[in-house]
Amino acid sequence: MQRQVARPGVRFRPGQTVDFVIVGSGAAGGVMAKELATAGFTVLVLEQGPRLEAHEFEHDEFNAFDRSHLNNQASLQPQVFLQGPGARPRRRQATVYHRLVGGGSVMFTSNYWRFKELDFNERSRLGPIGGTGFEDWPITYAELEPYYTKAEWELGVSGVPGPFDPPRSRPYPLPPLPVKSSGVLFERGARALGLHAQPAPMAIISGPYRGRPGCQHCGYCAGFGCEHRAKSSTLATVIPMAEATGRCEIRPNSYVRAVETDERGRARGVTYFDAAKAEHFQPARAVVLCANGCETPRLLLLSRSSRFPDGLANSSGLVGKYLMYNGNASTTGVFERQLNDWKSVMVTRMLWDFYDADPARGFYGGGGIDARFWGYPLFFVQGGLPPDAPTWGAEFKRLLRHNYSRTMNVDVHTTSLAVETNRVELDPVVRDDWGLAAARVTYRDHPDDVAMMRFLARKAVELLQAAGARRAWGPDNFEQTVGYHLLGTCRMGNDPRTSVVDRFHRSHDVRNLFLCDGSSLVTGGRGQPTCTIQALAYRAAEHIARFARRAEI
Amino acid sequence: MTDLSRRAFLAVAGTGLGAAWLAARPEDVAGAHEHADAARRAAARGEAPPPLEVLTPEQAADIEAVASRIIPTDDLPGAREAHVIQYVDRSLATWAADQREPLLAGLARFNRLVARRHRGRSRFAELTADQQLAFLSANARDPFFQQARDLTILGMFANPSWGGNFEGAGWRVLGFEPRYAWQPPFGEYDAEPPRGN
Repeated sequence: MQRQVARPGVRFRPGQTVDFVIVGSGAAGGVMAKELATAGFTVLVLEQGPRLEAHEFEHDEFNAFDRSHLNNQASLQPQVFLQGPGARPRRRQATVYHRLVGGGSVMFTSNYWRFKELDFNERSRLGPIGGTGFEDWPITYAELEPYYTKAEWELGVSGVPGPFDPPRSRPYPLPPLPVKSSGVLFERGARALGLHAQPAPMAIISGPYRGRPGCQHCGYCAGFGCEHRAKSSTLATVIPMAEATGRCEIRPNSYVRAVETDERGRARGVTYFDAAKAEHFQPARAVVLCANGCETPRLLLLSRSSRFPDGLANSSGLVGKYLMYNGNASTTGVFERQLNDWKSVMVTRMLWDFYDADPARGFYGGGGIDARFWGYPLFFVQGGLPPDAPTWGAEFKRLLRHNYSRTMNVDVHTTSLAVETNRVELDPVVRDDWGLAAARVTYRDHPDDVAMMRFLARKAVELLQAAGARRAWGPDNFEQTVGYHLLGTCRMGNDPRTSVVDRFHRSHDVRNLFLCDGSSLVTGGRGQPTCTIQALAYRAAEHIARFARRAEI
Repeated sequence: MTDLSRRAFLAVAGTGLGAAWLAARPEDVAGAHEHADAARRAAARGEAPPPLEVLTPEQAADIEAVASRIIPTDDLPGAREAHVIQYVDRSLATWAADQREPLLAGLARFNRLVARRHRGRSRFAELTADQQLAFLSANARDPFFQQARDLTILGMFANPSWGGNFEGAGWRVLGFEPRYAWQPPFGEYDAEPPRGN
């Protein structure tokens, strides 16, 4: 499956010291690599998964989920899950992420929402929420805005601002993708309810952009790599730019097991396993972890030593804590005529009318709603029919046939409060295939998170009905037990006692160790974090390069 | 993509089949694909499907009869036309090999129920169509039936490279076309001229 393709760029000698070693090549790591290499530094990116080229991406949904070698699969990287503190530990994947060059940015749905001003200072606006780690960020939206713009233009994002958008210094680089029937119906339902639908901002290019062809509307985005390179993954965009500098090597199949420190407590490099599970030490002047909100804290905890007995960069005791998944719920409507929504990108319309928290609701939270269709054939057959539909026989077949082209979903994406007991730890018993302690994940939604999901799911069903759905329904159970958005586990802050990294993503404890990915987030936004993770990476890289030039690392 | 894997895996999650799938070795998966490829090429030459490797003719007849009740044939293809039985046999020969014993033991138990219920019959495939329907309705929670359903769904709707969904038969039922390149309008509502208000 994997083919050796000649690529530009440098190959560092074994043991050769680089300026930066970056762990992870996903949404954050790819951006970090390009920015630091462009700034003149030597950069080695260690990616635990393989490297696939665009032509190797397939549309095989049976292979794409759960046992794909491109996910963290249970047979190699088992996890232990507890649904709340004190719950019985069960051996089960609690976080799912993609392991390949480009990481989750290759596989994501490509919703590309900026955060808004209030996501950064909501704690000040609303006051504390008891029993939570609800906090302001140490940076503002205005500070991040130039980097949102940079991400949108460098990576390629299609959209047009709507009535609730935060201020922006430049328009989107590309016009919105063509609306699908789900988007037309969503607009109709929203209008009937007095809500404001808008084109969804997507990290998929609606037309040719910077040498890449526009979207061909194949319908296979979420969970699939784009064979046309129309999805603006780091693999399709910044990683080739990083390599073109001649200073950056992307080394796939390299699974880091520890950040090593010297007698002064500085990071001196990382130890990793190659594809044959042979161990190597890679020296570096500084280490940047972009390994995602589960693996970054796990790696810090695995890097414990006599000097750092609780794990590296963990003097606060907060490494791994305040895990946030984002709330999500999917509702379904069936219409009279054919939508054929299994074609093209998943989402073309969304709305932000419920973005802000509203004390009148009686609980904290906010969210966005989008129109989409979970239309992969096996998906639909297994979960797309109404809950009371038969599961076999002539009527089952008739419903599959009638509904498939007439169904759409309205999904809701909501806040997760930072709760200290939601966390990633090392499991005392279970080990992965490399002999490393498995991630042990405890997660239980805050009651306000559940209330917000339920509130918004009810709105979504109302919207489907207002759009003319013959039938519409939503879920009964909202508790999240699997996380794909892995946020908050090494939070950013000014106070070393209550945060893991500072406002520049430097760990408070280790001067030449930086952490930048979903783990840095103080709040989780309204369910679409990738845009913010990448804006943070652009911003962090600029500061890290500045520190390096001044010999301040 | 919060809900993704949970849904994709709904049918087989928690079953022995699901465990087999998660633990499948890449070489077994590749074996299944190669076999399916060969079968497709043979079909293109007008040849019969390759012989079954794991299932006896009687077992295959019973499982195919069950599958045909799950996705019956009407004016569009059913499990039979989708070669679900080829898929099941191939899966049991490769990635689901460790499910062979449980599935076939389940089938034997299932057939004992048939014999108890229908004097003079020993196998599901020997029942009349009406008897089969009534029997499945009464035994819809039977573990063998559940596993047969999971395999039927996969054999009907998974990518043809897995050995079922012959010539996209399952996809034709849904109205899905594996063209993977489209231009708007995609459906009837986006083809409408935009409304005023």
